[in-house]
Amino acid sequence: MRPAGKSGVSGFALAAAPYLLLAVLVVLPLFGLGPNAVRLLFVTFVWVTVSIAWNILGGFGGQVSFGFAVFYGLGAYAAALAVNSGLPTVLALLLAAGVAVLASLAIGFPTFRLRGPYFAIATIGVSEAVRVVMTNVSMTGGASGYRILETRPFHQLDHFYISLALAVLAVVASMQIRRSSFGLALIAIREDEDAASDLGVNPFRAKLLAHALAAALTGAAGGVYAQYAAYIHPQGVFAFSIGVAILLMPIIGGVGTIWGPVIGGVVYGLIQDELVASFPQLHLLIYGSLLILIVLFEPAGLFGLLDRWFRVLTGPRRIRAANP
Amino acid sequence: MPPILSLDRVSKNFAGLTALREVSFELQQGSIYGLIGPNGAGKTTLLSIIAGSIQPTSGAVIFQGRNLIGAKSFAVVRAGVVRTHQVPKPFRSLSVLENVEVGIRFGRSQWSAGDPQNAAQILEWVGIAHLARASTATLSVGDQKRLELARALAARPTLLLCDEVCSGLTESETACILKLLRKIEQSGTTILYVEHNLRAIMSVSHHVIVMNYGQKLAEGSPEAVQNDAAVIEAYIGRTANTDVREPRPRSATSGS
Repeated sequence: MRPAGKSGVSGFALAAAPYLLLAVLVVLPLFGLGPNAVRLLFVTFVWVTVSIAWNILGGFGGQVSFGFAVFYGLGAYAAALAVNSGLPTVLALLLAAGVAVLASLAIGFPTFRLRGPYFAIATIGVSEAVRVVMTNVSMTGGASGYRILETRPFHQLDHFYISLALAVLAVVASMQIRRSSFGLALIAIREDEDAASDLGVNPFRAKLLAHALAAALTGAAGGVYAQYAAYIHPQGVFAFSIGVAILLMPIIGGVGTIWGPVIGGVVYGLIQDELVASFPQLHLLIYGSLLILIVLFEPAGLFGLLDRWFRVLTGPRRIRAANP
Repeated sequence: MPPILSLDRVSKNFAGLTALREVSFELQQGSIYGLIGPNGAGKTTLLSIIAGSIQPTSGAVIFQGRNLIGAKSFAVVRAGVVRTHQVPKPFRSLSVLENVEVGIRFGRSQWSAGDPQNAAQILEWVGIAHLARASTATLSVGDQKRLELARALAARPTLLLCDEVCSGLTESETACILKLLRKIEQSGTTILYVEHNLRAIMSVSHHVIVMNYGQKLAEGSPEAVQNDAAVIEAYIGRTANTDVREPRPRSATSGS
């Protein structure tokens, strides 16, 4: 929780910033933003959504999962199948979220009996198993992938606004969870699961619920991506590197905070394209190095760094105000 | 009146090591019970079994007529049994107030009229209201122990299990905690209190249960227990006037 001290002008600016940012993002495409820039923002919103989703379970609840590609991929496939069978976009996304939630429960029931690194390792196994299975399911085209039949004209801005709405929903959900009793339970579990249980928190249930919420957002994000890309394949949406990327973003941005995962998602979304294009062999090495640097020197992530700079910048002014 | 808690032949084996052997006793409502014994006597194991943190190998734990065997610790808390930890386990990233809030929101939902109504009142009650906004990392050992108590009280126990709340504290801090325990007892909560500090536990308990090597050695009023030959032996070994074997003291005198 932020201390109540950030009052006055800087406090107001800080509170208004997200709304201002949202307003800018909503009107930005209307001022002749090129299709490439719109695409880049679209991808960024998808990444921001999954980054926030991972943070609900991993950041608040402290359960490190490498297996979020399962939800992303299943959401993508569910939405693609739904669209091809004639369902409207919103229903397809709800279906994507629903399928991901079911998967999260199926995975969570056995794996949440494990703790810490054992849970993390189990999620790697599950993720790889699902990828191999999806590579061999003939109904969805197996390894050669699955295509959405384009029966409707393509409007890039529709996809842009859907992805923006989902990212906003994720931010709001994250804020509500952090304020709720459920969020308090998750943080207590992260700090000391036994102590939390000794105060009446049911850790298993809280973890399952966090997993399900995170899966719903991730699945919907996968669905949004699939409808835009119109073609998905198991080595893409179920790739282990997707699972790792989803975990990297909130850690780079600032794990366990509201805005850290947003920053992480933005950094990843905006830089990834450029990096992959410029250094096709090296982009993962660059992320890896960034991760090591952050874990070593700024465990609170980029958000922690910004927060500290902000304090330094606003600190002296507050002192002056106190001693005129 | 039926006992609030009764233990019936509770045993616990850890891979061949017998930590508890057929321990039975009963607690009546609204009193402070002391549980003492030398290191390794099984006191904390017993507390953990009552709290649902670990399950016994055999035996029954009946709380208010309900068998707690098989219940997870959070379910035991909601039934009204809350424990504190020997080594405080604060939620480090949460403030003192938020720590207490966890107990308030997830503990037993029934309230009695005299209970403190919210986290701030509980902190006041325990005497650390001034630390409400503080980070738990800055707390002294004494304040950490108080937070541990505050958090447990926030879950509104009918039976409070205190594990060495006075260990590592100064005389005056100990006196404060003991005063607090009496206050908790007067509000109608039964307390089972494990402690190494004999002086502390004898001064505050109405009834003392003594354990040794995983078995109940004796129980009774603090005075009776203090004069029990078996208890004295367990704590300080055989003394000159209770030792019936003559040779050892004699050889000791002849050696000097």
